[in-house]
Amino acid sequence: MTKIGLEIHCQLTNLESKLFCSCKANYREFEINENICPICMGLPGSLPRLNQEAVKKATIIAMALNCTIPDKIAFFRKNYFYPDLPKNFQITQLNIYGDTSIGGTGSIMVGDKKIKITRIQLEEDPGRLIYEGSSSKNLITLVDYNRAGTPLVEIVTEPDFENPKQVREFLNILSDLLENLGVSDPSLDGAMRADANVSIEGGKKVEIKNIGSFHDLEKATIFEITRQESLHSRNIAIIQETRHWDEQRKITVSSRSKEEDLDYRYFLEGDIPWVKIDPEIQKELKSQMPESINSKKERYISQFDIPTQVASVLSSDKFYSDLFEVSHTKSNAKEIANIITTDLMGLVDTREKREESKITAKHLTDLTDSIQSGKISRNSAKNALYEIVKTGKDLSQVITELDLGNVSDESELLHIIREVISEESQAVLEAKSNPQTINYLVGKVMQKTKGKADPTLTLDLLKKQIG
Amino acid sequence: MVTEEEIEHVSKLMKIDIDDHKEYVDKVQAMIDYFDVLDSADVESEEISMQEISISNLRNDKYIPFDDKLITKLNNYKGTYVRAPKMS
Amino acid sequence: MNLKISALEFVQEVQNGNISAEDFVAKTLERIQNIDEKLHAFLSVNEDAVNQAREIDKKIKSGNKVGACFGMPISIKDNMCIKNSKTTCASKMLENYVSPYDATVITKLKEQDAVFVGKVNLDEFAMGLTTEFSAFGASKNPWNTEYVPGGSSGGSAVSVSAFECVASLGSDTGGSVRNPASFCSVVGYKPTYGLISRYGLISYANSIEQIGPITRTVKDTAFMLNIISGLDPNDNTTVDNKNEDYLSGIDSGIEGKKIGIIKEMIGEGIDPTVLSATKDAISKLETLGATCEEVSLDMVKYSVAAYYTITATEAGSNLARFDNLRYGYDFSVEGYEFNSYISKARQKFGPEVTRRMIIGGFVPSAGHAGKYFLKALKVKNKLTREINEAFKKFDLLIAPTVPILPFKIGEKIDDPVSLFQIDINTVTANLTGKPAISVPFAISNGLPIGIQLFTDSMQDKLLLQAAYALEQTVSLPEVPI
Repeated sequence: MTKIGLEIHCQLTNLESKLFCSCKANYREFEINENICPICMGLPGSLPRLNQEAVKKATIIAMALNCTIPDKIAFFRKNYFYPDLPKNFQITQLNIYGDTSIGGTGSIMVGDKKIKITRIQLEEDPGRLIYEGSSSKNLITLVDYNRAGTPLVEIVTEPDFENPKQVREFLNILSDLLENLGVSDPSLDGAMRADANVSIEGGKKVEIKNIGSFHDLEKATIFEITRQESLHSRNIAIIQETRHWDEQRKITVSSRSKEEDLDYRYFLEGDIPWVKIDPEIQKELKSQMPESINSKKERYISQFDIPTQVASVLSSDKFYSDLFEVSHTKSNAKEIANIITTDLMGLVDTREKREESKITAKHLTDLTDSIQSGKISRNSAKNALYEIVKTGKDLSQVITELDLGNVSDESELLHIIREVISEESQAVLEAKSNPQTINYLVGKVMQKTKGKADPTLTLDLLKKQIG
Repeated sequence: MVTEEEIEHVSKLMKIDIDDHKEYVDKVQAMIDYFDVLDSADVESEEISMQEISISNLRNDKYIPFDDKLITKLNNYKGTYVRAPKMS
Repeated sequence: MNLKISALEFVQEVQNGNISAEDFVAKTLERIQNIDEKLHAFLSVNEDAVNQAREIDKKIKSGNKVGACFGMPISIKDNMCIKNSKTTCASKMLENYVSPYDATVITKLKEQDAVFVGKVNLDEFAMGLTTEFSAFGASKNPWNTEYVPGGSSGGSAVSVSAFECVASLGSDTGGSVRNPASFCSVVGYKPTYGLISRYGLISYANSIEQIGPITRTVKDTAFMLNIISGLDPNDNTTVDNKNEDYLSGIDSGIEGKKIGIIKEMIGEGIDPTVLSATKDAISKLETLGATCEEVSLDMVKYSVAAYYTITATEAGSNLARFDNLRYGYDFSVEGYEFNSYISKARQKFGPEVTRRMIIGGFVPSAGHAGKYFLKALKVKNKLTREINEAFKKFDLLIAPTVPILPFKIGEKIDDPVSLFQIDINTVTANLTGKPAISVPFAISNGLPIGIQLFTDSMQDKLLLQAAYALEQTVSLPEVPI
């Protein structure tokens, strides 16, 4: 019986400032060591100033994962020496004096499987080590503290995962959930990291650290299971240890850190009092929580008759569902859902594209109106979308500029139809005897009009012409 | 009683080299032995408690850059990085 | 010019135009130059002090609003950060450290037009009772320069006692303001925990320490407290004192107040002269209308062990940041591996600090935490409950500040455990967060004795009233320097 547990670290990138100081939470745009202050550098005499919004966002995450919320939370020091840790201790959370971390036991469904959450804790991210130099001889270790103090929520699961596929599904669900809550943008580099622990056949637990991406996480767990199974089949004991993921060689390697260095001597952080999360505030936070992904999905299906698959895609992506919420009406909901999850999807599939996208609710309602009224064809709508996303111009302007309007003028259409008939005499003959094949001719008319011919009218006129 | 090995172990944990071992060990042993008086304190049922603060008294989430170019006032490498020793 | 005046007298004189801030500060610097070689209170002197005082005189002359300090010369214990000045904590590890920001207390004093004449000596990182553990040499007691001035805020007490400044700020973790105040015959105050912001105070044991003023009179302490106390967003552990005015009504007296005499603090090991001075203080307070009665705080006998266990743990953690990578002294990382570099760099800590950090790694470590650190936290808790009980019956508590007289330099430096015991009367106030003050009360064979008063949390105003009343019952000789 394979058992996998996870420790996921998630940066609260949607916050304005770091956990204990007013430097920027999202450090990514800064030059080296330009996003620092006496507090996050741990200068002598500096004191942590806890970020109110961070506590609230962590509470919301705990609620979304069905965790118990204590009425008071406490912070602890985890003491160890490392260059990326300015104070040589990390301020984090623990449950050694009762339940004092932001989230207690909870759970989340991954398909039919219930994954139990052990706890959720709020803590600070350390800085980053960078290496300069080519050979291991002249390697210089450098530190950038821009990230030091960034707010992290750590989510610890029970070893409930039975296989790597479940792990992958869970991570997708968790990413979508965190994005939907508005607490984090998981697509940002380094915003979500995870460590895993793996055991097989009820044996010893092996921890795997230093996994850089979710993609690698799946690989790492697969490798580790294979490694353990191989040992097991040869009756070799599996040692309980910490291994780290070697990104280059794609294997787990035994860590060299000595056990004696791992005595963290945890004790209460004396500079931060216990924070009371009053019941009224908990209630307020709960009521302000965004609608859950599942709830949206159910609603899209039942209220708007949107197909399950479409509803799934639409609800689990915040960008799509936000767009949907502001643009749909009872009559065009299904159409808009469709446009978003098919045509729009390819145009906004990266964070950069979404940031630069100029599409608005009005564009979508105009589009569906135009399609439904026959002003433009579905095909033209696709082309219009591309232009709209790029420039944000009004739909009518785009239609004019790119000449996307449906050809619905009868005489113009007839002219083109006669052209096609004269060019495709063989097909015309066939169509006379076998009416199904008239679609080929419709297709030809569409070709000549670059997809702008009104299909219904075209079919009608063609039939009349052919006789 | 605290052993010399334990003190050496702790000095590694706290990252301080102790040169004149014997003298240190004697003094540290004496100090820790003094703490044995705590054994007779009848405090088992005591709970750990602390000062409290309400969530609404915590700092507002606002970005305020530090007004100085701090890295120039600290040890720096090429004006931007902090240099660390070789990591093993 | 007479330097032997109180802070309030100074303010009065300057406001009346009898003296100028510039003259007074210049005379103060002269005094420092004349006698500090003998006393070694100062680690660094502010060369720009006279200029700063001159600017304040200009402000006064022009009729603009002037801060409450009127250019008063103040010394600051060298573990508090002043922007762009060296802050060394009397340690070789921070020999050249320059702080890029001001401590909150410094900001507040600057706003009130105080002039900082210099940074004063302490036991390295505030760990000690005699200032002998300073990496830059011990300070001397102005009452007898062969004797210790107490610690860790020795430099503060010496500079105030010897008229090298009008007032000082020290820090008190286990008695470090009250103890030297008692040994140097000046007033030393530790407020309710959280009353004064610790932002900019270099932490030793952050869960129990406070900055405290050291002054020549109790009224001066109230004056300082008015300026530096109050809620600070930079320190989450500060409490709201609603801008209490500690000076007004300070002479209300103590008629009808009930005072508890802490039995465990006048017990075995107390010097007979200290005991008789304490009894004298008690009878004087009774004459003023208070009633005094013995009270027992059983946990006091474990308080010293608990104190050193807790503070060593916190110090071990608070001083971990000193790895010489981001700031510190000149020592290149070239050629070193991480562990060996850090361990070697940290050898610049003095022997007492090193010992405390070893202890601080030991007592909370896996396998020992239950016996030492957690036990100590529980003692702290029970002691707090005991003293809270006592304050249901009593308004104030009393005990001598130090159970023994000042002793000679070098006398106790090799016996750390006997040094510990000197703290027995002072650590209780820190462990329980209660305010306490040492009032100079007697001189015995040329050596000062201070009496300590305590009140319940946030009763600092009452404490100052009682201290003032006690202070007024004695008239002490002048310091012979």
